[in-house]
Amino acid sequence: MADIDSRVATELRGLLAGQRPLLRMALLAALAAAGLFILQSWWLAGLFSDALRAWQAGEPLQPRPIAGILLGLALCLLLRPLLQYLREICSDRASQRARAGLRGRVLDSLAQLGPSRRRLGADGQLASRALEQVDALDGYLARYQVQTRLVLMVPLMLLVATAWHSWLAAALLLLTAPLVPLFMVLLGRAAATASQRQLNTLGRMSGRFLDLLRGLPTLRHLQALELAEQAVDGAAEEYRQRTMQVLRMAFLSTAVLEFFAALAIALVAVYLGLGLLGLLPWARGEIPVPYQGALFILLLAPEFYAPLRQLGNDYHARAEAQGAMKELLPLLQCEVWHHTGSRPLLLEGAPALELQQVSAAGGQGRLRLAPLDLNLAPGQRVLIQGPSGSGKSTLLELLLGFVPYQGSLKVNGRELAELERSAWQARVGYLAQQPQLLAASVADNLRLAVPGATDRQLWGVLGEVGLAPLLRRLPLGLETPLGERGLGLSGGQQSRLALARLLLRDTPLWLLDEPLAHLDPDTAEQIGVLIDRLSQGRTLLLVSHERTGLDWLTQVLEVARPVEAAA
Amino acid sequence: MKRVRLRELTCSRPGAWALAGLLGTLTVLSVTGLLAASGWFITAAALAGLVSGAAGYGFDVFRPAAIIRFFAITRTAGRYAERLASHNAVLGLLRDLRVGLFSHIARLPMDPRRWRSAQLLQRLVVDIDLLDQFPLRILLPWLWASLLLVGVLVMLGLLDTLLLLAGIPLLAAWLLPWFGYRRGSRLAESMVMAEQQHREYLLDSLRLLNDLLIWQRWEQRRLALEQGSARCLDLQWQQRRLSSVLALAQQWLLGLGILLLLMLGMALAEQQQLELAWLLASLLAVFGLAETLLPLAGSAVALGMSRAARDRINTTLEATEQPKPVPAEQPGAPWYLQLQGVSARRPGALNGPQQISFEMRGGDVVWIAGASGSGKSTLLDMLATELPLGQGSCLLNGRPLRKWDLRRVLGYLPQQVDLFDLSLAANLRLGNPQASDAQLWQVLEDVALADWARERGLDTPLGEQGSAVSGGQARRIALARLLLAERPILLLDEPFAGLDATTREQVMQALLRRQRDGLLIIASHQPVSAPDLQVVRVGR
Repeated sequence: MADIDSRVATELRGLLAGQRPLLRMALLAALAAAGLFILQSWWLAGLFSDALRAWQAGEPLQPRPIAGILLGLALCLLLRPLLQYLREICSDRASQRARAGLRGRVLDSLAQLGPSRRRLGADGQLASRALEQVDALDGYLARYQVQTRLVLMVPLMLLVATAWHSWLAAALLLLTAPLVPLFMVLLGRAAATASQRQLNTLGRMSGRFLDLLRGLPTLRHLQALELAEQAVDGAAEEYRQRTMQVLRMAFLSTAVLEFFAALAIALVAVYLGLGLLGLLPWARGEIPVPYQGALFILLLAPEFYAPLRQLGNDYHARAEAQGAMKELLPLLQCEVWHHTGSRPLLLEGAPALELQQVSAAGGQGRLRLAPLDLNLAPGQRVLIQGPSGSGKSTLLELLLGFVPYQGSLKVNGRELAELERSAWQARVGYLAQQPQLLAASVADNLRLAVPGATDRQLWGVLGEVGLAPLLRRLPLGLETPLGERGLGLSGGQQSRLALARLLLRDTPLWLLDEPLAHLDPDTAEQIGVLIDRLSQGRTLLLVSHERTGLDWLTQVLEVARPVEAAA
Repeated sequence: MKRVRLRELTCSRPGAWALAGLLGTLTVLSVTGLLAASGWFITAAALAGLVSGAAGYGFDVFRPAAIIRFFAITRTAGRYAERLASHNAVLGLLRDLRVGLFSHIARLPMDPRRWRSAQLLQRLVVDIDLLDQFPLRILLPWLWASLLLVGVLVMLGLLDTLLLLAGIPLLAAWLLPWFGYRRGSRLAESMVMAEQQHREYLLDSLRLLNDLLIWQRWEQRRLALEQGSARCLDLQWQQRRLSSVLALAQQWLLGLGILLLLMLGMALAEQQQLELAWLLASLLAVFGLAETLLPLAGSAVALGMSRAARDRINTTLEATEQPKPVPAEQPGAPWYLQLQGVSARRPGALNGPQQISFEMRGGDVVWIAGASGSGKSTLLDMLATELPLGQGSCLLNGRPLRKWDLRRVLGYLPQQVDLFDLSLAANLRLGNPQASDAQLWQVLEDVALADWARERGLDTPLGEQGSAVSGGQARRIALARLLLAERPILLLDEPFAGLDATTREQVMQALLRRQRDGLLIIASHQPVSAPDLQVVRVGR
């Protein structure tokens, strides 16, 4: 647990470190604005003090110094907002750059992981990490970090300026200052746990809603809508109460801060006022702080607590960032294996494969694939069978170059690990269990694999898989749109389209993973025959746990489940 | 549920909102009052001290000191209470909206191809949460800022009408955020669209990741993804800059007001027409006003987000179709179903069942046979009145099927069954909330799940979408649930998936026993056996 927290902290620090110049500029701008504020207060106090003195003496105001002060004030009022604007620009830019960089890293990690990304979560979850979780870092990157510096430096600047005029007023402010770090710690802890709990409730509520929304047709059909409405009401009410709990605590802590701020201003004002009247019990008849100093301190006092109040508001940004980084960590720090080979590969025809004692390691010293021997002559075709968990799919991923292996795996006599991965993959055709189709036209789906393919080529491969007659009858032909996940096509038609895409790439090695599993027996039989015809002359490894439709594959390799072995 | 209107959001809990508004007003007045009173006090004190020669014994110190303490306390307590009141009201409002929107979606039909559950979830969770921006970040702050502005202007006017000149830039600073609203709304709309496009593109890219890598097309896809992401970031940047620029202009206007006030005030003070203490008090009141006005700079963007969310929710509300009037009459035994030359097609599907004809009477069993993709499920969807009848006629008890109220008569086990993240018993009782445990066990026995259920108990959770059970078990749990609802007409799509021949026979016997004189139509690619079984072939 502590280990994860420290890794989260390291990653967050790393992100900030990359944007140091911009963040430093933001900090400088904020500090300069605070300096201008002190100057502005001093001039204002001077202006009123001059006026007071002139009024008391019954003389007119001296126009020269007054004009100078007014000019100075005008400059302050002009520049301070500009500096704040500059600070926002720098912070936002820093946050945008850091987030864009992080998103790129997430995408690269995903690409490196390839099929192994499955163990980190479903695609929907991974997408939400790349989008929402990265954006959740915004508040932390843009505001929080600069604010933690300001919360110490600005009050210190104001304190020094106050102490210059009155030690006692500075002491009054300082008296409440030790509460500052205390409150930061308390606020931080409470905010982190509370917002985590609220996030869990939100997750639960979303889960309940999604569950019910997906099943709406069933609920309607069973006349069970009232039950569902009660469930929604319950989840929404729980979320409301949980949020209110979090907010109540946040409001209470800011209220305490507010209280100190208001109290300090009131105390300082009364002390300075009584001092000016000469009514202080310990200094009767004396004026400890003259008017200009007194007014100056009064103008500064509210600003003493402002950075802390802002930090209190931004504190949830830190909790949010930590939560988001915890989600991102597995993606950023996964041990990604890089296929290191660099030799180019030229394949004229179907390759020969020679596997000797090839195995793949999983996590914690377990094997994902037990040592395996296999020799395939060019154009030889083999069915791979075995119980689930025996590593059939792993074998295919390993042959694709996505998974590290032990033992020797030679392609036409050359070790796979030494070959350049992209050159090798360009010669491999792969079909996953579910044909992956986009909500786009038939032609777009085919051209995804081979962008330059002509319509003629497309009709050619569609003809080979038996889809051409159907498509020719449709008014839009190749441009017929498919729905999400191939909606509009039956399972068999989807398989045919995927095979057409495989043909279009015309690779000499085919790796097919359960191509018939989602089909009913009749259709499986037909697609099996089609695969038989199309794969002739290619080296073929086909994984399937059933033999329906695959009687033509005479060579069968049984993969055994790896024995539990201590590393 | 009615269309959502932002300005009606506060109508649901007028008392709570009024309280929040009042408390907030008290708070901003106290914040400003504290500053102004302190400034007046020390200036007046300095004058008194100067006049009376150090000891201002004639000066009443107690009243101003008490006023200052009063403001200090009301400021703190007021803000705390106001926040509690307004957030309590807004969270209650969000809850009402959630329940209302869900009921609306649940009770009225929607086109399932255009409205996916993930989208509806977004409406229920994220969009409704965005609506709170309107009362919290726009309505109430505007109210307070306006009241305080009026207060400050009155104060200036009372001191000297000439000072009202300084009020002009303040008024402008108050009006300024309105100018950002149109752009804020446009940006929010583009932002939502860009984000949605980017998300869909990313999801597609992830789904195809393995293939894209193998096809050497990932790099290109990644570039496009980066562009999409950059576009979203750019829109966000524009939103932020809109707020920043408005804030900058507001601050400059306020600065101008402060300078004007000082110049006019000093001139008036010199002519002994204005007391310095009151000039300082009004200056500090303007500082207080600035603190209240500045948060309004962000309200342009907040309003844009709220409006975009409102529009999305309203589009969803309007997308529900008018409920079809339910025919008044419910059919009863004896049953007689006639199909003559029926064809049907799912929207967007390339083909469907054609020219289907059969007849059946109470107690008959029909087996709809055919390969997958031949249209068995489409035919059942049509019989369950979920799809329109393409051609032909379909009569129940001599009257078109759709002219009957079938809600409590027809039971359908569709191709895709839904189980809920509840216990086994709760899932089953969705069919019949009054079912006893004995009835549950009996129906589990009938679908050959009793042994499995005995190992786990009726309270075993089924997981999200039934993730804790296998596909075949999920189908049979859904079948059991349907049997509990006791519908005389049953349409079952592949009820025997994953069963061996013996168990299949057992389940079939139970179905026959339960259906007795009702109608039983089973679509299956596995053989079905029953006495007097009528076989209807679909496709080819």
